Amino acid sequence: MAITIEERVLEKFKDKAEKVKSLPGRLFIDLPRDFVKEAARIMFDELKARYTISVGTDARPLHSNFEVLHFFAFDRDNFRVALRFLVPPDDPRIDSITPIVPGANWAEREIRDFIGVEPVGHPDPRRLVLPDDWPEGVFPLRKEVPYNYQPPSTTGCEFKFKEPPPGATALPIGPFFPILEEPIQFRLFIEGENVVGADHRGFYVHRGIEKLGESQLTYNQIPFLAERICGICGFTHSVCYCQSVEAAGEIEIPLPAKYIRSFCLEMERVHSHLLWLGLACHILGFDTLFMQFWRIREPIMWMAERVTGNRKNYGMNLVGGTRRNIPEEIREELLRVIDQTETETLELCKTLLNDSAFIARTKEVGILTPEEVRLTGALGPTARASGVDIDVRRDHPYAAYPYLDFEVIVLDGCDVLSRALVRVYETIESLKMMRQILKELPEGPTLVKVEEELPPYREYMSATESPRGEDFHYIMLGENNRPYRWKVRAPSYMNIPSILWMFKPGTTIADAPITIGSIDPCISCTERLEIIDRSTGESKFLSQKEMYEISRRGGRK
Amino acid sequence: MYGLGPLLESLFKKIGVPTFWAEPLRAIIVSVVILAFIMVVVMVLLWLLRRFIAYMQSRLGPNRVGPEGILQPVADATKLLIKEDITPAAADKVMFSVAPVLIFLPAFLVYLVIPFGKGMVAKDFHMGIVFVLAVGGVTSIAIILAGWASNNKYSILGGMRSAAQLIAYEVPMVISLLGVVMLAGTFKMGGIVEAQSGGFWGILPRWFIFYQPIGFLVFFICVLAELGHLPFDLPEGESELVAGYNVEYSGMRFALFYLSEFSNAFAFSAIIVTLFLGGWKPPLAFIPDWYILSPIWFLSKVGVMVLLLMWLRASIVRTRIDQLLALGWKVLLPVALFNFLLTGGLMLV
Repeated sequence: MAITIEERVLEKFKDKAEKVKSLPGRLFIDLPRDFVKEAARIMFDELKARYTISVGTDARPLHSNFEVLHFFAFDRDNFRVALRFLVPPDDPRIDSITPIVPGANWAEREIRDFIGVEPVGHPDPRRLVLPDDWPEGVFPLRKEVPYNYQPPSTTGCEFKFKEPPPGATALPIGPFFPILEEPIQFRLFIEGENVVGADHRGFYVHRGIEKLGESQLTYNQIPFLAERICGICGFTHSVCYCQSVEAAGEIEIPLPAKYIRSFCLEMERVHSHLLWLGLACHILGFDTLFMQFWRIREPIMWMAERVTGNRKNYGMNLVGGTRRNIPEEIREELLRVIDQTETETLELCKTLLNDSAFIARTKEVGILTPEEVRLTGALGPTARASGVDIDVRRDHPYAAYPYLDFEVIVLDGCDVLSRALVRVYETIESLKMMRQILKELPEGPTLVKVEEELPPYREYMSATESPRGEDFHYIMLGENNRPYRWKVRAPSYMNIPSILWMFKPGTTIADAPITIGSIDPCISCTERLEIIDRSTGESKFLSQKEMYEISRRGGRK
Repeated sequence: MYGLGPLLESLFKKIGVPTFWAEPLRAIIVSVVILAFIMVVVMVLLWLLRRFIAYMQSRLGPNRVGPEGILQPVADATKLLIKEDITPAAADKVMFSVAPVLIFLPAFLVYLVIPFGKGMVAKDFHMGIVFVLAVGGVTSIAIILAGWASNNKYSILGGMRSAAQLIAYEVPMVISLLGVVMLAGTFKMGGIVEAQSGGFWGILPRWFIFYQPIGFLVFFICVLAELGHLPFDLPEGESELVAGYNVEYSGMRFALFYLSEFSNAFAFSAIIVTLFLGGWKPPLAFIPDWYILSPIWFLSKVGVMVLLLMWLRASIVRTRIDQLLALGWKVLLPVALFNFLLTGGLMLV
């Protein structure tokens, strides 16, 4: 018999492992701190695991150490591995794995910002998340910092953009820009019309959601908060959260609930992809098709309202199942809407793809090679358009996906056009799945009663395939009916850094917006974690007080 | 001769205005009339564009101010006039103020040579077409000026794009017109219209579009670029350059950019009609070209052209600057040259 992936991983680490915890499909290995780089290399380069995310936990109340976890996934084997490193508080440093795994760039900076564990040897150790006037040495995710703490604002920690190369000039795209629905900044370094480099700054809109979940809410309130992480793909977050709590607490949910979760997830995917196709047209200056795509998206929004009671933020999920079933009498109507949407989508996409100007604008633009997908950890349609065959729905089956027939769309154009095509085909696949679910939806209760107290300090990670890629939640159950640590990793968190890799030589300014748009960036998803600070944002050179004074004078100098 | 100019002349003679004053007075009156006409045209176009594109995009468009929203442009204009006029601190103050005027000037001057009807032309220069092209070129200079004076990166990029576009499109445009000039034997706008009288088999009019289909296509595409309409609205390029060259302008000055854009759309439609679609001649050869009906024929043809431009605007993806330049230099220029040679050859035969 072939050795399992678990045995292969354990074999590699058998000398070093201090503690091994094996759960179904999941493996937690505790390793010594100085082994981190070698461990990352073994996982990433030797075993070819996909880097998922890194999480920092303030576990001092449990064992007087910080924890840094690096997550890796084996997609072919439905297996996930967490490497855990304990960091003592008197020397909060750990070797950076970013030189080996470029995709860990943000995650390590985030851990430094929030927990205060310094990644030693990080190639780009600038602040990532905290605002400009946040004082050094205050780490908001440490347990002693209250969720509503507002530190006094300081100066001297301002974010510094990279200098453009000699001869080039910097052109900001964002934080406010016609094509960006949410604030994020790409600073393009341009020579004439050509882009020769870029820098990024994001995290203008943090809402401290993880901290809120860990300190204020209870298990069954968090699904509704999780849903509000994103304005488009919120449901996938709430499913992902519920799944990780259910798995950690060993709760089995009823079959109808699984079907309904899948239905809502696919509904969300359809409306999200249609929305993206519209936006892509808008970015290319094709407003007519933009409006048309939004027109055909509208029945799906209507459908969401019919099924869940809301157009967005469905409010369907609880730990233990869903709150309602899909009534028998509306199913006919829903099937009709699905048929109509399918016809209209095909018709519009045919129009779009027959447009030679559209092809000329998207073909061979924003190239991301399969190797770069591996390095950056790009996900979802972005990865699948580069020929990387990953899809959580098939690789790590959840909800009702084991019972559904669908194809994973993989194209190998590596460009914006392929990303658009992947989304077009996926929309059709999703509509098929919705149809199948409506026909096969079993009867019965959709919710199981959950014990009030879940056993604390169990941990689990779960993932769903959101419209933009793998959405990953890590949870450690805690006391007081709320999680001890809840980590959300939205797909855009991995996809946005990959944009900088897409600005290859020969990219022009005109390509930049559609390249940025091509990953379907979801900025609210990415930036969910910080204590709310209304004052700073853009005010690099102004204190809050000065800002108010200027506003009162009506903007005059 | 009919038309406003001669009419005024005879009027002045009748009431006895001294000759010294007659010419400036006439110029002022003609200018005011043209200006008023432009205002009306822009208002109508603005409303039409918004409603038409809304219709294309399955939206409603403005329909609240006045019946069917026809007073929306008035509301817009009022709003623009009372907005704060901001000059950025880092801008070149003089150039920044000159640019909007300079961009409106050619839009205004082009109307001088357009024959709106039989003899209804303010000034039918001998070099009418050359005048149109020369004046049209000023628009681009104004755009570059606006972009540069704003001292904003997006603006400068927009201005630079406009310069590149100007060079790539003026050349094929001029060459594509040579065919028409050769056929008509004159640069005069009125003369070109006259050259298109008569018809095939007494039905189909003898318009230059039938003699010069290639020239028409090249000219039409160049006009799109000249107007900065989609798919060639690169100097503005909303999704890349925010609003390009006019990003720093507000209030009244922005209104001038807007005004000249729409006024140009009408003027160039009128020029296409004049050069290729028989100007004020009736659409069928057997209809007599009465003086009274000629402006109606003319305006309805221009209306069709304007709608065509809007239609294109609603149905094409914006091109990239390198694609646009490639089209100009590698496709349009050779095609225009070929058309020129073909016309010359056929005329010799």
